[in-house]
Amino acid sequence: MTEARPRPAFAHASEAELARILDFYEVRWEYEPHCFPVLFDRSGAVLESFTPDFYLPDLDLYLELTTLKQRLVRRKNRKLRRLRELYPDLRVKLLYARDFRALLLKYGKLALADALTGAGGQSTPPRTRPAPEASPGAIQPAHLGDRAGGPPSDATAPGLSPTATAPGTRPAGAAMRQHRARRARRTRAEARALAAVRASAGTLAAVRADAPPGTSAIPGGPE
Amino acid sequence: MTRRADLANDVAEVLLTEAEITARVQELGRRISEDYAGRELTLVSVLKGSLPFMADLMREIAIPVQIDLMEVSSYGGTATENTGLVRILKDLSSNIDGRDVLVVEDIIDTGLTLNYLMRYLRGKNPASLRICTLLDKPARRLVEIPVDYVGFTIPDRFVIGYGLDYGEIYRNLRFVGVLRPEVYADQG
Repeated sequence: MTEARPRPAFAHASEAELARILDFYEVRWEYEPHCFPVLFDRSGAVLESFTPDFYLPDLDLYLELTTLKQRLVRRKNRKLRRLRELYPDLRVKLLYARDFRALLLKYGKLALADALTGAGGQSTPPRTRPAPEASPGAIQPAHLGDRAGGPPSDATAPGLSPTATAPGTRPAGAAMRQHRARRARRTRAEARALAAVRASAGTLAAVRADAPPGTSAIPGGPE
Repeated sequence: MTRRADLANDVAEVLLTEAEITARVQELGRRISEDYAGRELTLVSVLKGSLPFMADLMREIAIPVQIDLMEVSSYGGTATENTGLVRILKDLSSNIDGRDVLVVEDIIDTGLTLNYLMRYLRGKNPASLRICTLLDKPARRLVEIPVDYVGFTIPDRFVIGYGLDYGEIYRNLRFVGVLRPEVYADQG
């Protein structure tokens, strides 16, 4: 990690903190580089997809960080189960709020935990998303492409400092609504990108065949 | 840490007694002695947490060994320590080129520190490089690292004692215990 590159606009301050930890230990990472369709309708259109937060290329491992309250992560757990069913070779680790809290405790930064978890940590501005780049198999989501991994830069990573993410600076309800809207926009963009490459992505045929008939999940809900 | 630590009352539960640790360390020492018989072994202790384990383990090993010490900065260290990147605070004082090296750790959880350390040590061309840890907390693992000798696999709880600290305190406990959550909640 010798080359300083612009950091992505993280969806959540806890992701920025995790990126800092990975940087510190010189573990290369990519932020949301791949999107995996996990639910299809009868015609094969993608209804839902899963975009793990981090990919660690040297370890071939995806990390998904969810700092929402435990009762709110059921949907994400279901998507993760589906992901593992459809892509059994994929190595994905889900970090819950309690895991992230334990990580911060280990590093003596427990005071950050409350500021960086739940809706209080969602203080980063909406992301600007470049045009999609499709590839077979693991599909490039619509909003990605900027690789991060250089030295931490507070100036280019909003929400990194505890003061910037202090709870109470924005009502939790408003932050949650903003988060939901952001997720919905992203999922719609992903669906468009996926639809565009569906015909050329050979793996999708097998994936479609595995989809349960009559599924009607609505994409874009909060995770 | 503004709150004054209370060694007698800050422990919620004893996870591993002194007797259990002693018995297991003896067993590890026997295994290592057998596995490395006739070879030139260097034990590398990763400071500071592994000190008590290292001191006990080396005395249970029945073959000649050299010892060395290393210290690696931790994320979230003091302002003077935290440069944004991990670094070696104390390097090896001996040459391990061509030697069999066994890294002695107190605990492996995320594996991030050890992952960095193993990459660093591999660059010094040891004949072999293996890991011995007193405690393994696999539930926390981010980086999968093959561990050759494990004392105890423990549940996902915050443990102190026998070298393990919270805020640099509790290392001198003779057992491994679980810290009362109120202790670190007070600091949060």
